[in-house]
Amino acid sequence: MPCIVALIVFGIMGIFSASQRALAKEALDCVFKRVTLRPCNTGFAEKVKGKLLAKVITRSTFLAKVLNKYYEIFSWVFFILMVGSTIWVFKGVYDFYVYGSCNGLNESGFCAFDPSGSNNAVTAVDTTCGITKNAKKTVTLNNVDLSTFPTQNVGSKDNVVFIGCYACDYSRKAYPDIQKLIKAKNANFVFAHYPAKGSITNTLADATYCVYKDYGNQFWDFNSYLFSADKNYVLDKANLNTILSKFNFDIKKINQCANGTETKKAVENQVTELKKTGLYGTPTIFINDKAFVGPKPYRVYRSAINKFIFF
Amino acid sequence: MLNTDKIRSDFKVLNEGKSPIYFDSACMSLKPNSVVGAMNEYYYSYPACAGRSPHKMADRVTKKVKEVRSLAAKFINAKDEKEIIFTRNTTEGLNLLANSLDLKKGDTVLISDKEHNSNLIPWLLLRDKIGIEVKIIPSNEDGTFNLDNFSMLIKGAKVVSIVHTSNLDGVTNPIKEITKIAHANNALVIVDAAQSIPHKKIDVKDLDVDFLAFSGHKMMGPTGTGVLYGKYKLLEKLNPFIVGGETVEYSTYTDYKFLPVPEKFEAGLQDYAGIVGLGEAVKYLSQFNFKDIAEHELKLNTYITEELKKIPQIKIIGPTDPKERSGIVNFYIEGTDMHKFAVMLDEMAGVAIRTGQHCVHSWFNNKKIYNSARVSLYVYNTMGEAEVFINSLNKIIKIL
Repeated sequence: MPCIVALIVFGIMGIFSASQRALAKEALDCVFKRVTLRPCNTGFAEKVKGKLLAKVITRSTFLAKVLNKYYEIFSWVFFILMVGSTIWVFKGVYDFYVYGSCNGLNESGFCAFDPSGSNNAVTAVDTTCGITKNAKKTVTLNNVDLSTFPTQNVGSKDNVVFIGCYACDYSRKAYPDIQKLIKAKNANFVFAHYPAKGSITNTLADATYCVYKDYGNQFWDFNSYLFSADKNYVLDKANLNTILSKFNFDIKKINQCANGTETKKAVENQVTELKKTGLYGTPTIFINDKAFVGPKPYRVYRSAINKFIFF
Repeated sequence: MLNTDKIRSDFKVLNEGKSPIYFDSACMSLKPNSVVGAMNEYYYSYPACAGRSPHKMADRVTKKVKEVRSLAAKFINAKDEKEIIFTRNTTEGLNLLANSLDLKKGDTVLISDKEHNSNLIPWLLLRDKIGIEVKIIPSNEDGTFNLDNFSMLIKGAKVVSIVHTSNLDGVTNPIKEITKIAHANNALVIVDAAQSIPHKKIDVKDLDVDFLAFSGHKMMGPTGTGVLYGKYKLLEKLNPFIVGGETVEYSTYTDYKFLPVPEKFEAGLQDYAGIVGLGEAVKYLSQFNFKDIAEHELKLNTYITEELKKIPQIKIIGPTDPKERSGIVNFYIEGTDMHKFAVMLDEMAGVAIRTGQHCVHSWFNNKKIYNSARVSLYVYNTMGEAEVFINSLNKIIKIL
């Protein structure tokens, strides 16, 4: 057993150090002998044991005695821990590739590949912008009526629902990747604006509702602009009319619509529907009913829609 | 009495940082600075061939090789320097003899039951190739030589090939008596002197042995050097084992004529640097009185033996009396792989010992002992080192 442990440890260390590589070769020789049902008489196991015991004995004779006596048991424990941690590492790598976090879908614990946690950063729906360390919540589209939201590519086999906010950096970061995904996969796309930052986002929610209602597919270019243009400019109410006119929308008509009680009610209903998802931050993106909270790398979205992760 | 401080100052390895406690001289002795210096001088100043080219550098090498041959002959009291053949080591010397003695099917070779593989395998190979008979002389229970067993087996034997001092237990065999009995029975005597040459005065005339082989690396000389001594008349009759360059006086496409002894046995370009170093080792060793070396080793061996006897688990291989074990203390603990002992001693206190079967697998397999740990002492070891070894060993024993 110590040979197997040593082979794995020195094998990994040997990638970086030539001296460890030599030990890995010795361990391999030992393992080979054991798996071919021959005694490991290379002296390697005793060499490793001797080196360990020598280190321990200089600190504590008692500990050295215990280690010597239960060496095989310790080896097994380390082997099991090593196998466990190896599996854990592979799972982490898999999760990072597929979900953007080593800890699994929407988990915000520390991840060595994403130390800043940016792949899980969201704007909290309580209007506080920033990285939130939310506990994993169940976010679902069950019983949520999305029929009033802007929709593209109806009838496609894949469904993507983007819940985001124009004022939120993480939504702004994720939106281009989702656009790219929709273009690449021709998926059914539902866009839902969630006004996470109070008055200005409410105003934009009303306006975008009216644009989609009155101008249909012209909405998408307008929407892309709101996500890609300078955030401060877009969020300044004074610029809204200029932006509307940039897209040749009837400013008066849109304003009238946006200020109408019917629109206010409709947008309120939309927000109520969105809350039913249980979302706790934006962006929340549903790809074929699987929720991704926070701006993930593009590969994560692509993997979710691919049949076999890579293709 | 040896001045170990003075001796230790001659070895660079013992004067650099934390010097090792080197108890593995039976495997390989340390090299004094003079040996390394002489070899460096050869490479730096006259790295040429001997006996071939007419230039001054080559002439210097030729003279040096001749000088070393003469030194070696004097060192073992050979009658003539022509009786000295340079080899790579004891193993090569013994192989040369096994392959040159012109043994025939049915001829008997006697060896002891504690031979190094170098003095076992060549004969077993001949047994398998041409059908010679290899007989083993059983030792006494304590590892000492049993002359009665030998006397019974000698009748009809062609060759007695035997170790002088065993690397297994340090026991020195009574070569003079063995030779007398062997010669009385018309058998040739070959002696493996690898372990005795660094510690004992060897006088081949007094011992009357026919052949004697030893290595340079165990007597403070360089690795890859050795000597095979043979009585001139016997060497003349032997066919060379390896032939080619330097072994012939002339050759045609169909014929050749060998050079006389010793050249006909020294095929190919020789290790001149090694030979020069060997000469320096002989000079270095010649400054000692061998009785002083024996006394020094006995003092250390006695201390270590007495301390080991206090540890009930430990069993010493060979006689319990250190007087009979030269500078060797070989011990084991039943059911324990001694390899980790050596590793721990090295890691804990820089004590270098050897573990394993010491190239005497046949003995270990016969006794069903897995392996042992061997301490081998030499002139540069001190009582302080022996104490460090014992203290460290006692710590290790406690955790078993």
